[in-house]
Amino acid sequence: MPSIGSLTTSVSGLNAQRRVLDVTAHNIANANTEGYHRQRVELRSLSITGVSGIFSGPSRQMGVDATKVTRAYDELLATRFQREDAARSNANALRTTMDTIEKLFPEPGDLGIAHQLDQFWASWSSVATNPGSAAARQELLARADQLVSSLNRAAADLQGVAETAMARVGLMAEDVNSLADQLATTNRAIGSSANPSPDLFDYRDQLIGQLARLTGATARITDNGMADVYIGNRALVVGADLVEPVDGTTGALRWVNGNQPVVITSGEAAGLAATINDIVPRYQAMIDGIASNLVTGVNALHVAGYDQAGATGWNFFDPTALTAGTIALSADVAGQPGRIAAGAPVLPGPTAPGPLDGGQAREIARLADAAGGVNAQYRQMITALAAETRGATTRAAVQDQVAETAAMDLKSIGSVDLDEEMATLVSAQRAYEANARVITAIDEMLGFLIERTGVVGR
Amino acid sequence: MRVTSSMMVRSTLRDLSSSLERLQDAQNRATSGKQLLRPSNNPTATAAAMTTRQELRRSEQMVKEAEDAKGWLSTADAALTSGLDLLRRANDVVVAARNAATSDPATRQSFALELRSLRAELLSIANTKYADRSIFNGNAAGAAYDATGAYLGDTGDVVRDVAPSLSVTVNVTGPTVFGTAGGPVGNLFEVLDRLATAVETGNDTAIAAEQANLAAARDAYTAATATIGVRAARMEQIETRAADDKLRLLTQLSNAEDIDVVDALIQVKQQETRYQASLQVAARIIPPSLMDFLR
Repeated sequence: MPSIGSLTTSVSGLNAQRRVLDVTAHNIANANTEGYHRQRVELRSLSITGVSGIFSGPSRQMGVDATKVTRAYDELLATRFQREDAARSNANALRTTMDTIEKLFPEPGDLGIAHQLDQFWASWSSVATNPGSAAARQELLARADQLVSSLNRAAADLQGVAETAMARVGLMAEDVNSLADQLATTNRAIGSSANPSPDLFDYRDQLIGQLARLTGATARITDNGMADVYIGNRALVVGADLVEPVDGTTGALRWVNGNQPVVITSGEAAGLAATINDIVPRYQAMIDGIASNLVTGVNALHVAGYDQAGATGWNFFDPTALTAGTIALSADVAGQPGRIAAGAPVLPGPTAPGPLDGGQAREIARLADAAGGVNAQYRQMITALAAETRGATTRAAVQDQVAETAAMDLKSIGSVDLDEEMATLVSAQRAYEANARVITAIDEMLGFLIERTGVVGR
Repeated sequence: MRVTSSMMVRSTLRDLSSSLERLQDAQNRATSGKQLLRPSNNPTATAAAMTTRQELRRSEQMVKEAEDAKGWLSTADAALTSGLDLLRRANDVVVAARNAATSDPATRQSFALELRSLRAELLSIANTKYADRSIFNGNAAGAAYDATGAYLGDTGDVVRDVAPSLSVTVNVTGPTVFGTAGGPVGNLFEVLDRLATAVETGNDTAIAAEQANLAAARDAYTAATATIGVRAARMEQIETRAADDKLRLLTQLSNAEDIDVVDALIQVKQQETRYQASLQVAARIIPPSLMDFLR
């Protein structure tokens, strides 16, 4: 019965077009959803030859099949984006660190350590010119105190940068574990469904993306649509199982089993690890070197000098405190400006000079110009810091551009275009109407058959 | 490449925010007046600016020291120059006393009196102070000579750093100017003392001997005065140069750190225009879609 068969065909058409409308509505609803990939109903024509009937030849089942919904997605592009996005968050973390460290050293200006060093040396030169002046000596002690506390603060602030990063690692471990858990659950949902919804895959990909951003994790999609995630070649999630959680309470990511460090090459975690293990220690070493040179340089001269009372052997800085964090005035001179050893020893002897001699203070003031002296060392540190910050900023900007290009490529395939959806909407609507018209036509044909035939002999 | 409206929105937003960032940067520069807001703005210029700043501080200090040195040296110069007249007068008195050696004791007495008063004046010159510090007693505290003409100071040098790697000794010690005490001759004050006594007693041979000693002391004194005079004159030059140096460094620092105001304002205006243009473009491209045309 071909005409009855056409009814079924048209019904399948109606269903299919309604499905197309549904999916289009879904697309439009999610036009601005992050990580959503547009979906398409895969329409497939049906043409099945049926068994012959008694009164008819072999029938053909016709119509359209609309059971399969796919999403516009390119695994290669997605993997590339995940990699570049992870590198971007690595570069951003490094830039943030360098930015923060740079702000600790407001140079050039009147607030930086360079200015305080200059004032410190100038005070020595004032004492040298005016060794008898209690005011000059008092001022020198005050300036030295300022310099010392600036160095102390810089050291503490640097330590603070590392500690903030370590706290962030701790939070990150919790994030990673929770994301991995969600991914395992999603994998299970995908595996247990014969025809999993494309939205599940979107969700899965977003979890992978977040894990990649945090730790540079890489994913391998298996045949059944589940994603296995690895960090540094060690499995975090395989199929529906969270293989091994990570721990970040020590300030570094570690695998819970065996307490081995997580090998991280990208993502925010890599930036934080570099901050904690490389950048901050490097600048700490530099500023400690400056403090230690300041202490030894000034003390070497000061110990040999003579104070106002003709006594000698006083340290100016505490000789045992050789880091920027601990540098302090020695107990010899703190609060006792008279003990500042401005007088140079008289040779041979050495014997004490006159009480108004400023020779040793002058020698100390000359340290300001010393080649490879504290000032030069500090300047080198700032130049290195500036260059590294600039490099980190540039790299972050470049990587941002690269990641953005990858994101655009992915979006170019997956993002919802409202124009396109409108066109689909119109065509589906028209097709639906046409299918309905076919049903009306068949109905009329059947009606004609039923009402107008077989009336002979009535 | 397939382009969708959400992609356009995304890239437009990015462009807008980067354009706003540039505008903010330009405004920061213009309002702060500094082109080096942070070291990373220009690492090389930062290093240069820091070096210049340090040189400037040192130079300020050196200008101070040069002023101090100049004050010290001109005080010494003025004191010693006035002493030259006193010594000349002393010689005149001695010559007159020799010519009048035979005259009455009252005349000799008055010559002796004048010699003693000249000695006292020279002693006060020897105790000249600058900034409450005796300038002829080395690094010792207090006065350089006591009333008997004994030296109380030491042999220390007083040094001032007046220019990069140029230090000047600004003092001469008492013995260099007035001679060393003790020995057959002794210092100027001892010579004058003995001379007054000789004049008083009318001892002609003693007067002749002491006159020679006075001449020798005067030579030493004149030589010291000349040394100080030369140094004082040189300090004038050095001070001028130090002041010039400071000005040069200030200009150099301003060049390194400060903005060119006109340029900065133009930059701000330019970035502002650019931002407004991107806003207008964004307003144009975002709304239209097929929906606006299907009715």
